[in-house]
Amino acid sequence: MSVLGIDIGSRAVKLVLMENNNIMRTDTYDTYDFYTKYCENIDRKIRLDLDKLEIENVKHFVSTGYGRNNVNIKDADVILELKAHVFGALWQTGIDSFTLLDVGGQDSKVISVNNKKIKDMVLNDKCAASCGRYLENMAKIIGLEISQMENHFENPVELSSTCAVFAESELIGKISEGFSVGALAAGINYSLYKRIKPLVERFPSDTLVVTGGVAMNKAFIKLLKENMVFNEIIVPKNPQLNGAIGCCAYKESVR
Amino acid sequence: MKKIGFTTSIPVEIIYAAKMVPVDLNNIFVTAKSPEKYVENAEAAGFPRSTCAWIKGIYSSVLDCTDIDTIISVVEGDCSNTRALAEVLELKGIRCIPFSYPNSKSYNNLESEILKLLEHFKVDSMDECLKVKQKLDQIRKKLGYLDELTWKYNKATGFENHLWQVSSSDFNGDYITFEKELDDIINEIESRNEKKRKVRIGYMGVPPIYSDMYDFLEEVGAGVVYNEVQRQFTMVDSIGTADLVQTYCNFTYPYSLNGRLEDIKKQIELRDIDALIHYTQSFCFRGIEDIVIRKEIDVPILTLEGDKPGKLDARTRLRIESFIDMIS
Repeated sequence: MSVLGIDIGSRAVKLVLMENNNIMRTDTYDTYDFYTKYCENIDRKIRLDLDKLEIENVKHFVSTGYGRNNVNIKDADVILELKAHVFGALWQTGIDSFTLLDVGGQDSKVISVNNKKIKDMVLNDKCAASCGRYLENMAKIIGLEISQMENHFENPVELSSTCAVFAESELIGKISEGFSVGALAAGINYSLYKRIKPLVERFPSDTLVVTGGVAMNKAFIKLLKENMVFNEIIVPKNPQLNGAIGCCAYKESVR
Repeated sequence: MKKIGFTTSIPVEIIYAAKMVPVDLNNIFVTAKSPEKYVENAEAAGFPRSTCAWIKGIYSSVLDCTDIDTIISVVEGDCSNTRALAEVLELKGIRCIPFSYPNSKSYNNLESEILKLLEHFKVDSMDECLKVKQKLDQIRKKLGYLDELTWKYNKATGFENHLWQVSSSDFNGDYITFEKELDDIINEIESRNEKKRKVRIGYMGVPPIYSDMYDFLEEVGAGVVYNEVQRQFTMVDSIGTADLVQTYCNFTYPYSLNGRLEDIKKQIELRDIDALIHYTQSFCFRGIEDIVIRKEIDVPILTLEGDKPGKLDARTRLRIESFIDMIS
């Protein structure tokens, strides 16, 4: 059986093609490009242009994304984002009970999973200061690519603002005070960690699984490992593809 | 007839006994054509952004109602912001009569508060109020039945349950018309088929500021079969009690959280409730009570925090959907 899992995020669209429980292919597109170059909108339903995507022989489509009404893909099963992420984490880790932290482009969520079932969950506050977009904007101000942020965790400057926009002004203030790029980047990582920490603390467990694009930021993971009381913190092999993998895993599970 | 506004449920029997028209200002605010304008107007007048939208909405509603010059401000037992609200309204020439539900729930203290209102509105005796209460109790019985039509017979919607019960704080200013309309809706509801509900939700906390929460819940397969505070507004637990003071001592909302929790636990059991939604208003002290509620209640709880009036935002919809999905 072949399943295409589609996770439409605010920054990136992730596609995973799974055949008989094996990942055959993965793709990541910029969300804007994906909608404009690879999709058509017919009667408020999105139709994928499989030729352009160079995808063939797919039997099932399962999609997810922020608010399931926004991911209304023709002929696709739509599952809730939280469910997709849990299925993805179960599939990727093989563990049945854990706390899942997913830090995406525009939101972060923490889900308590017990015996493969969602027990409780919490989403970030309304402000985007605890998600990937915050990292991206702040990195830009100090002239770094988002991928370069992962090296910095030592001697962080203090960024205390709770608002993503005010934090930018605060950062500019720190630049003028002459702090090094490393200290500034470490401060950005640390401020993200500080905002996410209280959410994660709501659901203590042995294992914390971290997914979403931000899980690829090694400095952020290091801060979690050094400061939080989990026995183990796992970043699965494909953290950013977790939702799309979950779509496929869901279909496999209900087969 | 002169209209008397109030900031939360008060012994409405007194206003009717005084041959005046009670007006729950919350209802005026939230059912206005553009309630968000009321909030904006209050902020323009200087109310901090970080205060509850209900307070701001009430402020603007009172100023907008040309026929209300007197209100009862409940300064103890509800929101302490009401004190400041009353001070600001007095600046605008509105007469504010303070009323307190004593924190101690002391019968004598509440009696003296009620007697002050009687004196103010020139109602001769408590008996006058009890005569009104007898009439209102007939309507409250019907509201109790409408509540049963929701949870027992699964015919009334969660929104109808909310709307009719919450309206009993003032009986829409005219209890005779209210009763007629209630009879009609009950007849209509009785003729419906039983609804199938995948998940039975209890709603606790102040009434929601969202306009579409109940509908959205039904859309995702969940029905609200219990509205805690709205049910308390009906004073249904004191029907037949020939004692106004005791009736408003039995009213759980203005007193300690423990009293409310006892009531809620009983109803969870009775109504076979799968999960609770605890609604709190942004900036309200009741948000802190969530800590105790989560410790004391055994069923899953989703806490929603609403700020401005209007429809559910995308994030809250996602949280509701995920919660219902989780417990289904």
